[in-house]
Amino acid sequence: MTRVRVTAPQSAGRRPAGLPPGASPGRDAALDSDAGRLYVRSLIRSQLRLAIVVAVGFLLVLAACGLMVALVPDLAVLRLLGIPLNWLLLGAGLYPVIGLAAWLYNRSAARNEARYRELVDER
Amino acid sequence: MNPPVGLAAFLLVVVATAAVGFYGLRISRTTGDFYVASRTVPPWWNASAIGGEYLSAASFLGVAGLILLSGTDALWFPVGYTAGYLMLLLFVAAPLRRSGAYTIPDFTEARLESTAVRRVTSLVVVAVGWLYIVPQLHGAGLTIRISTGLPSWVGAVAVVLVVYLSVAAGGMRSITFVQAFQYWLKLTALAVPVVFVLLHQGGGAALPAPEAVNPTGVPAAGPYQTVSLLVALLFGTLGLPHVLVRFYTNPDGHSARRTTLIVLGLLSVFYLFPTAAGLLGRMYAPGLARDGRSDALVLLLPGELVGGPAGDVLSALVVAGAFAAFLSTTSGLVVSLAGVISQDLLGGSVRGFRIGALLAAVVPLAFALVTDSLGLAGSVGLVFAFTASTICPVLLLGIWWRGLSDAGAIAGMLTGAVLCGGAMVAGTLFGGVSAPGWLAQPAAWTVPSAFTVMVLVSLATKQRIPGTVARVMTRLHVPERPLAGGR
Repeated sequence: MTRVRVTAPQSAGRRPAGLPPGASPGRDAALDSDAGRLYVRSLIRSQLRLAIVVAVGFLLVLAACGLMVALVPDLAVLRLLGIPLNWLLLGAGLYPVIGLAAWLYNRSAARNEARYRELVDER
Repeated sequence: MNPPVGLAAFLLVVVATAAVGFYGLRISRTTGDFYVASRTVPPWWNASAIGGEYLSAASFLGVAGLILLSGTDALWFPVGYTAGYLMLLLFVAAPLRRSGAYTIPDFTEARLESTAVRRVTSLVVVAVGWLYIVPQLHGAGLTIRISTGLPSWVGAVAVVLVVYLSVAAGGMRSITFVQAFQYWLKLTALAVPVVFVLLHQGGGAALPAPEAVNPTGVPAAGPYQTVSLLVALLFGTLGLPHVLVRFYTNPDGHSARRTTLIVLGLLSVFYLFPTAAGLLGRMYAPGLARDGRSDALVLLLPGELVGGPAGDVLSALVVAGAFAAFLSTTSGLVVSLAGVISQDLLGGSVRGFRIGALLAAVVPLAFALVTDSLGLAGSVGLVFAFTASTICPVLLLGIWWRGLSDAGAIAGMLTGAVLCGGAMVAGTLFGGVSAPGWLAQPAAWTVPSAFTVMVLVSLATKQRIPGTVARVMTRLHVPERPLAGGR
């Protein structure tokens, strides 16, 4: 494990242009041209769209589970391995859904970033 | 429970935590180490530390207690605590890491070019931290009373003392070691007794139906309450100061995302056990709910259902895990609060950090000593509502919307703080349980109000949008190192 010395954050508030120190050089270069600015905007937009799609998808699954437990009383009667189905659904069944959503998001977000890099490199 | 066993478990965790903290003293020498450790903690280690810090008294004791009290309604708590990390991953993890800021006030100041925004954010962060430490200390008081018979204040004072000493000695770096260790301690301390009790009880006659048992006759939560709770938990997590500071210890945005994915796995595994403990309690020990001992369910379950020397050993393990929970969450909060307090008031030196840590720990201690616990999971849920109404809007809009202005950010945060804080005070005055639903779970209306005010005021003060917004947005979203061969 390599160790990196970082500076004290006491310079906060007295920095020029409000940007914290320690950013990798070259990332601001994306703003040098109209095309660069366009690429950054489209990257941000695609990442936001992705985040919203995954969030809404997950919330729909959550709402469906909530409605099912509320509207299908039989779930409390049916049992799997001695545990009522409604407990199983809310107590254990939602976690794999959360993990799956996170994994899909990570893959797509990394792909968006790779696409951005390709665009920048083509210039 | 057997008092000497409980006391031994407590002392063991305290000594172990203090030892790792003082070990950290020898290896953390720079001011940066004090604030965020080095930024090169490996993802697995970092994820364990995040899990260790996040799993508080509410998760370790409160969730099972609430499930004992209110059944399936309470299952939304662990789901919400976990799903909050999904929202954090989707909307803030990578951009916040790329911002390069150390604390939430650092971020808002850099994004909005305004020291006024910084001051307001700092106030909100300190309020959130203090509110969040209080239930941890209540949990510590409860645990020490149940396990050793000593008065409650001993537990709260002991936790504050250990946390203060280890934080002041080692800062953030030693905390990272401690937290990662404590995730695994907490998981073991809950999983082993729960599995043991399951094996002990299982294989017998047909299980009693958990629904048929309603120990205290708590009415079922309506749809409004459940939705409002989920709003608070989903959007509160991404604004918690002690959680955010952890993301700065990732080397880059990509690894911040990978770390979060691991955290989600660790939390999902952990929450199966308080859920199982709550279910077991509801089926086999519903009597615990009646005399207000529901929050102590996981502590009492081994003694009630197993008993004998085996029960004592399992109880000691749970007590150790519970103290790991109080210590890790409290120290995480104290570190992040100490960072904020010392930077804004004391000039950011190591000495200022130590004074900040003292302030961060002593104020909630005083508050915890003069108040009584009203259910751990519920009071932590309210802190999430407060965070979701204040820090969440400024982070989300700051990261994703160029149109945010400093006036909008301040107006939105104050609106959320006043509405949600007011609801919390009013709800307490009503006496907690008898408060109307919209006061008991305010997030569903305070969070949209804060967002609306923030957006409207920003739109009305467009001339105040900082000129650096394009550069800051680029910094937040553009990946760090171009792939090999680029440029």
